[in-house]
Amino acid sequence: MKAYLGIDTGSISTKGVVIDEGRNIIARSYLWTEGDPAGAVRRVVDDLRGQIDLDEAQVMSIGTTGSARRLVGAMLEAQVVKNEITAHAVGTTFLHPDVRTILEIGGQDSKIICIENGIAVDYAMNTLCAAGTGSFLSSQAHRLGVEVEEFGEIALTSEKPANIAARCTVFAESDLVHKLQVGYEKKDVIAGLCRAVATNYLNNVGKGKKIESPIVFQGGVSKNVGVVRAFEEALGQRVIVDPDGHLMGCFGAALLAADAPKLRAEPFRFDIDHFDFRTREVVCGHCANHCEIVCVYRDAGLIDSWGNRCDRGAIKVG
Amino acid sequence: MRNLSAGPEQGAGEPRAKKPAAEERGRIVLSEGAPRPLFFTGKRPKRDRHSRRKVAFFHFRNYEPAFKYFTERVLDADFVPTPAPTRATLKRGEEMSADYVCTPFKHIIGDYAAALDRGADVLVQVTGFCRLNYYGELQEMILRDAGYDNFQMLNFSYVPTGKLRDYVAYCKKVVNPNLSVPRGIGGMLGAYRMVEHIDAFRDQYLANAGFEAEKGSFTRVRRAFLSDMNAASTTAQVDEGYRRAADALAALAVEKPADPVRVGIVGEYYTAQDPVSCLNLEEKLMSMGVELSNAMSISAFNLHYNAAAAQASIAEYSSYDMGPTSTFNIAAAKRYAEAGYDGIIHIKSAGCTPEIDVMPVLQRLSRDYRVPVLFLTFDTQTSDAGLDTRLEAFYDMIAMRKVR
Repeated sequence: MKAYLGIDTGSISTKGVVIDEGRNIIARSYLWTEGDPAGAVRRVVDDLRGQIDLDEAQVMSIGTTGSARRLVGAMLEAQVVKNEITAHAVGTTFLHPDVRTILEIGGQDSKIICIENGIAVDYAMNTLCAAGTGSFLSSQAHRLGVEVEEFGEIALTSEKPANIAARCTVFAESDLVHKLQVGYEKKDVIAGLCRAVATNYLNNVGKGKKIESPIVFQGGVSKNVGVVRAFEEALGQRVIVDPDGHLMGCFGAALLAADAPKLRAEPFRFDIDHFDFRTREVVCGHCANHCEIVCVYRDAGLIDSWGNRCDRGAIKVG
Repeated sequence: MRNLSAGPEQGAGEPRAKKPAAEERGRIVLSEGAPRPLFFTGKRPKRDRHSRRKVAFFHFRNYEPAFKYFTERVLDADFVPTPAPTRATLKRGEEMSADYVCTPFKHIIGDYAAALDRGADVLVQVTGFCRLNYYGELQEMILRDAGYDNFQMLNFSYVPTGKLRDYVAYCKKVVNPNLSVPRGIGGMLGAYRMVEHIDAFRDQYLANAGFEAEKGSFTRVRRAFLSDMNAASTTAQVDEGYRRAADALAALAVEKPADPVRVGIVGEYYTAQDPVSCLNLEEKLMSMGVELSNAMSISAFNLHYNAAAAQASIAEYSSYDMGPTSTFNIAAAKRYAEAGYDGIIHIKSAGCTPEIDVMPVLQRLSRDYRVPVLFLTFDTQTSDAGLDTRLEAFYDMIAMRKVR
């Protein structure tokens, strides 16, 4: 049986799925990136390997996405390296063919994708600012001394969410400290934070976009029921959260890999542990641009490089 | 009373000491001892005391040949080419600017510092309808504070009347007292033509370079064209150079599909045109195989712009002008939408207020014409990973839409 692997390496978490020929997910993995995309991918690959029978499911094509897609693509010799917006749109429209709006909040970015007849027609992504994303929520959870995983449950117990300024992370944070100091209950502040994330999203990324039902909410933050509730209240519509919603990026990458024009000659054996992957940064000295060129080595051999702006900084592979 | 002035003290009653000969310098003596004729003042006329000025502009897309032509043929001064901007230039500019100033300001002041290091002594700044008006004055002050004091600013926002006579007088004062008006008008014509040609060439380039059959062939022709323009010294040479380049460009082989993905670019005057400011956005899109069109250029906005017609064409979207390029951009975006472009990209620099006003109108346009609009904001960031993601996704989206 042919199978396809999709890996989504984000800033906070690394996700991976293996799908079979019927596009069903047969193995899934979700781990923290911990600032080490190469290491996280190894762990995800190991995790997936334990869930499938290698002799039965032969991975013939690999797709990577997420902010480290290029690095991971070079490591795994991926057939498809795709940006996360396309991967999410492809993955979600496969599972929910009638979806009209995809809300996505990840660790460091947030995006909205508008869909008509199963095809993305418009999207927006946050620029320059990471306010209201997962990393903001987890740093605030740390400040409040609760696990970010419990955030949503606590938020749901609140009856009077505190009003937290949502415009900017810095203001939200000082507002939050202030609210705690004047004696608001923790659960009300947490509920207020969830609401702030939703408002911030709708005012920034969602601004000017027509949000139509059915709405699918995904990304790591979609696991937070408090934010889901806040979205439903703000939009006045039901918001669908798929149990595999956090895997939509890698699922989309796997789907794209399955449709890749050229498959692997040999099935992928999940054996990247034998190799030593290293990256090295070289600063090009040919002009004052000082491009930082990233070189990826597999054992001692250079397998890929990028980051140069002109041919003078090109490093030949081979 | 004590003599406070410098020099040897002179007691009362002594014969008056002769002043040092400093003022005698430069006096032309026709014949020693003979009385000087009355009409001969001893000072050379101003036009002969003038030393040639070294004029520099800031970098702006690929208009440098036109700036050079203007300097040499109109101002009759030496042109100092601004070094190609790099990260170091930009860092310098950042250090000299306030954080929240519009991004072009940072690029331009970095260029100025680099040009002054190269020996320029006149810097040219233009005028516009927004904060651009204050750029010149502010940049001059900042540069002087930074220790550059041997330069003058040719700042056209100092000529409030907008009359040709006043511009000429100002240029005479700052750059060249010998400036010849008839010669200058001839030079202006050549510079005007050159700008038109550079823009016409760019339009042709953007439309086809994404589909070049031989990699690098379009860049080769473009380089040759710009070096021709750089070398041109007469209007005839300008025209001839363009004809040659346009023919060469048309003769290049392209592998263009019958119905390519077409994207139109609108946005803030400087950032939308300048590849250094927008992280080579045009080249990135063309490498994906896109037919591009960029609405903004000196020709389109300054030379051939009919503001009243543009305003009339967008009457249903905006009833009055919202600032420097807002009407122009809305009209251009509407034109792209009507022409069936697959996507529109709106580019602005961080902190550009007039362009922020344009965004809601473009969103409405996007809904009405069902054409996606990608909004991009550029500051002095140097990492283009985020831009790549957005552009790839935008391309995937409009390409998939097109297939359906």
